[in-house]
Parts: sequence; structure tokens; C-alpha cells
Amino acid sequence: MIIVSILRSVLDFAPPLILAALGGVVSERSGVVNIGLEGMMRVGAFFACWGAFASHSAWIGLLCGVLAGAAFAAVHAFVSIHGRADQVVSGIALNLVALGLVTFLLEAVFGTTGVAPAQTLPELPLLLGRSPYTYLALIAPFAMAGLFRYTVPGLRLRAVGEHPHAASTLGVSVARVRWAAVLASGALAGLGGSALSLAILHRFDNKMPAGMGFMALAAMVFGKWRPVGALLASLFFAFGHASVDVVRSAMPKTGPMSEAHLDGILMAAPYLLTLLLLGGFVGRAVPPAANGVPYDPEAKH
Amino acid sequence: MADQGGTQVTKGLSARSFSTRPGVLSVLAVASALLVGFIAIALAGKDASGGYTRMIEGAFGSPAALGETSIKTAVLTCTGLSVGLAFVVGLFNIGAEGQFIAGALAAAVAGHALRLPAPLHVPVALLCAAAAGALPALVAAWLKVQRGVHEVISTIMLNWIVIYWVHDWLVVGPLRAPGAISVSGTAQIQATAELPRLLESSRLDVGLPIAITLAVMAWLLLGRTVLGYEMRAVGANPDAARVAGIPVARRLYLAMGMSGALSGIGGALLILGTEHHYPGVFRTGYGFDGIAVALVGSGHPLGVLAAALTFGGLRAGATRLQLVGIHPSFAELIQGLAVLFVATRALFAGGLDRVAARLGRRPS
Repeated sequence: MIIVSILRSVLDFAPPLILAALGGVVSERSGVVNIGLEGMMRVGAFFACWGAFASHSAWIGLLCGVLAGAAFAAVHAFVSIHGRADQVVSGIALNLVALGLVTFLLEAVFGTTGVAPAQTLPELPLLLGRSPYTYLALIAPFAMAGLFRYTVPGLRLRAVGEHPHAASTLGVSVARVRWAAVLASGALAGLGGSALSLAILHRFDNKMPAGMGFMALAAMVFGKWRPVGALLASLFFAFGHASVDVVRSAMPKTGPMSEAHLDGILMAAPYLLTLLLLGGFVGRAVPPAANGVPYDPEAKH
Repeated sequence: MADQGGTQVTKGLSARSFSTRPGVLSVLAVASALLVGFIAIALAGKDASGGYTRMIEGAFGSPAALGETSIKTAVLTCTGLSVGLAFVVGLFNIGAEGQFIAGALAAAVAGHALRLPAPLHVPVALLCAAAAGALPALVAAWLKVQRGVHEVISTIMLNWIVIYWVHDWLVVGPLRAPGAISVSGTAQIQATAELPRLLESSRLDVGLPIAITLAVMAWLLLGRTVLGYEMRAVGANPDAARVAGIPVARRLYLAMGMSGALSGIGGALLILGTEHHYPGVFRTGYGFDGIAVALVGSGHPLGVLAAALTFGGLRAGATRLQLVGIHPSFAELIQGLAVLFVATRALFAGGLDRVAARLGRRPS
């Protein structure tokens, strides 16, 4: 019974995390750091809610979430590819903007700064009792891995992320590939965000995504910047998240081993593990070579 | 993440930090952000000019308002200096939020647990906070120097580790006030550890003079000492600095340690000055805002002070926006936009130079 409830919790919690982590993978493999995932998830979650509320269709809501994530990512692409600005700064700015902008819009549209709307949103049809997000999130990593491995656009994207000058010499437009990758990244993060409001809460909560974008970043690193790795890392983190509830119910209410002590330690575990992995204490994670470096065609290399 | 990524912005900042151009661009960026915010409020069908008037009143319009602004300015100066000092050696300290929280908690514990006379208690509590803030920053520096881990990733991870450990473990568990009515939060600090207030009519306390002193010290360190020169050299070009005989790794540790200590002191100012204990819910965002302050302040200590005053006023004033139906998180929107505009300064600067050149050619 416990296993079933953990599994159910994993299948609910993991899809937005997996989708956002894939968003991180596609952007960073092309050489653009995206720490704006949190903000992109946030606008995705909000616009999915708004779209579904206004149109009475969850599918249109989903589409709105994807488009909003991509539109937000377009700002990141413009600033960091066209403007060659620091990609970390751009991502931080977008997270701040998303924080303020969505609260502002929530108040303007729904007249609240808490949870909206009053009635739950229209629901997506279930497949064998699970939301379409679950299947999407389990298939998408393999699709992306295939794309990276066997298709021309996928190979170009990786080439641009590892050695943009070499790719450019072979006639690949670095800017165009990175633009496409960043837009895809935002669309995936927006899709992940839309899962939060459409498939989990059936509403929008102003706390969303409550750090999940950063956890997706951790999952991307923990998965060594690989799609299937990101999937496994996300499932692992989601499993840890789900087991918190189970472990908590088994713990005494007071004393040195009480539930109050356990929560924080378990919640911090994904980040601690990622840090240990990065430090080379458990395996090794190496980022794409050109990750974070704005492409300057005239630069010496 | 490749190494050059993190240092790219910082090179621009430290190399140009003594020229006036970044100042001009920052003012333009903040002004543009405020303009966009104004239009957004108007588009939402709300009273934009009334809101902005109230915001200015709430920031600077009365002794009480000035007190609020001064508290927020002091804290933002600390976190802004924190991020700015790391910039100087070419490191991007995104961990200011976690270091801020660590420092705040240490100040609350030292303020409660130690029995010291008043003139000693505050400095000792501040030192404890500085040490606690430096700790996660030094972990990031160690990972950078010894293991080649990019500090952006490591400090993001450290942020969440600190946030969850403090908020979901320490404050609700071992450090929770015994027998408290509330479910979480540490015990009240001793009266000897409270920051003295400077005025009766406002919450203005010695936090602001402390923060201004720290800014001036940072400015002297960077501009007037060999150590500061070496730190800037490391930021400009670590390889050249190494060849010139500067101990690069030690300067990285020093800068990151000071950076974390400053964020920690920022947290302490808030605890010792206004909160008087570590509350159960304490998600202030001051650490993240420190990044905005440092960027808009062009990484220069005095620029940081100016940016902290701007955003401190914005934060204090934004609470009054509720009177026209706008949530105070509007301040985050303005800060985010300002950072975005500063980030695109390459695009801005080209146009500005052309305008300046055109104006310059004209005989006057």
C-alpha cells in the first residue's frame, strides 16, 4: 500500500520536474545557461490557468502555458544571444520579473494574490487514470535523446554547445540554433509549469513553482546534462519527495528523531547530492564546453 | 557551465567600475523600469500616478517612512556589497540568500544565548553572523578552487540546502524557542543584543551607519590597497595575475569569505534591528535582491550604496501600493526589469555612444 502511494505521488510530482529539467538540458546543451527555468515555469503555470479559465478548455490552457514559457524564453534568447549579455544575469532578471509580473497579473485578472480561480479549472482527460503529462514526461526524454543522437538538428545543437566556432565553420548558424534551443527550453519549462496548475492543483497558487525550477536545474546537473539522465534524476528526486510523507508518518511526534527534524534534511538532500556529484565525490558531471559563453564570431579561440 | 561564462559580466563591471558610464546606464535602466511599471499599472486600469505618489511618500515622506527605507537600504547595501565583492574577483555569488539566512540565524542564536554587556553583545553577534555567512560561501570557493565546480551552480545548491535546513529543520526543531506559543521561530534575543535606535519617531537604527561604514571600507579596500588591487587583477585576468605572482586561490577564498560575511551581516542587521528573533517564516529575498543591487550599482561600493537606497525606498514604498490595489511584489518586477535593462547595456551603450557622439559634434 505504501509503495502504491509513493508511486502515485512520484507520478504526480515528477512530470513538471522532468519537463523543466529537459528544458534546461536543451538550452544548456546548445551553450546557453538557463537559470530562468523557475520564472519560465511560473509564467507557464499562470498563463495555463488563465487560458483554461478564459476558454473553458484545459487544452487551450496547456497551449497558453507553452507559449508563455516560450515568449518569456524569447527575452532570454534576445538578451543573451543577440545582446551577448551574461546569461546568468538574464536568467536572474527573468526570475525576478516573473515573480512580480505574475503576482501583478494575478491581482489584475483574478483580484487575488493567493489561489485562483475560485472554481477548479477544467481537467484534461485521463489516460488509464493518469494525466497526459505523465506519459509525455516519460516519453519526451527518450525522444530528445534520439533527436540529439540521430538527427541533424540534434547533432548541430550539440556541436554549437561544445564548439561553436567549429560548428560555424561548417556552415551552422550558431545564433539560429541557440535561439531555437532557448525557445524550446522555455516551451518545455512552460509545459512543466502548466502541469502544476492544470494537472496537480487544478488552480494557480501564487507560490508556484516554489523552487521547482531550481530543482529542475539540479536534476539537469545530476543527470549530467543528458535527457534520460535528467529523467532518472527527476524520478529520484520525486521519489525522495514522496517518501518524506511516508517516513514522516512513521516518525515519533517529539524527541531528537521527530518529524520536525526530518523534513528539512530530506528536502535539502537533492541539492546536497547534486553538490557532492559536482564535487566529484560521487561520480563526475561535466557541463557542455561552451555553456555560458556568448558566441562572438570574431573572438580568438 | 564553462568558466568564462561567470566572469564575462564581472570583467566588464570591474574594468569599468570607476568610469561614469555604468552610472548613467543604471539610472536609465531604473528609470525605464519605473516607466514600464507605471504603464503596466495604468493598463491594468488602476491609478498609476496616485500609486507612484503614495510609493514615494511611503519611501521618503515621513520620519517613519525614512526609518523603513533606512533599514531596507542597510540590509540591501550588505547583500549588494556581498555580490559586488565576489564580482571583483570574477565570481558570481548567487548564494547571497543562503548566506543571509545563515547569518540571520547565527545572530538570533548569539543574541539569545550569550550573556554579554551591551557594548560587546552587538559586535559579537555581528561577528557570529559574519562567520556563519562566510561558511557556505567558502564551501563554494573551495569547490571552485579544488574541484573546478562553477560557483553559480554550487551557490544555487547551497542556497536551497541552507533554506531547507534552517526553515524546515533547525527553526522548527532543535533551535525552536522552548515552550513557545508559535510552532516555530527561535527565542527572543537579549535586550543587550538589540541594535540601538537613533531616533524616537522611526525605526532608524545603527544598521544604516554600519552598512555605510562597510561600503566605505569596501571602497577603500578595492581602490586604495594592494590587496584590493590584487583582487581586481584576479578578476580581470586570473592567468595574468598568477604569472604576476598573486596568490589567486587565496584571493578567491578571501573575496568569497568576505562576500559571505557581508550577506551574513545583512541578515544580522534585520534580526538584531527589527525582528529580535529568527521568525518561523522568513523568506525575505534580500539575498537575491543583492544581486540586483550589485548589478545596478555596477559592482562599485558607492554605486551599490546608491542602488540599495533606490531599491530600499522602492521596497519600503511598495507596501503603500496596496492602497491602489497593487501587491508589494511590484518592487520585484521593477528590480527584475532594471536588471534586465542593465544586462542589455551592450545594446544600450552602442546607441548612447552614437547619441553622445552626435551631440558632441555639434558646436555649443
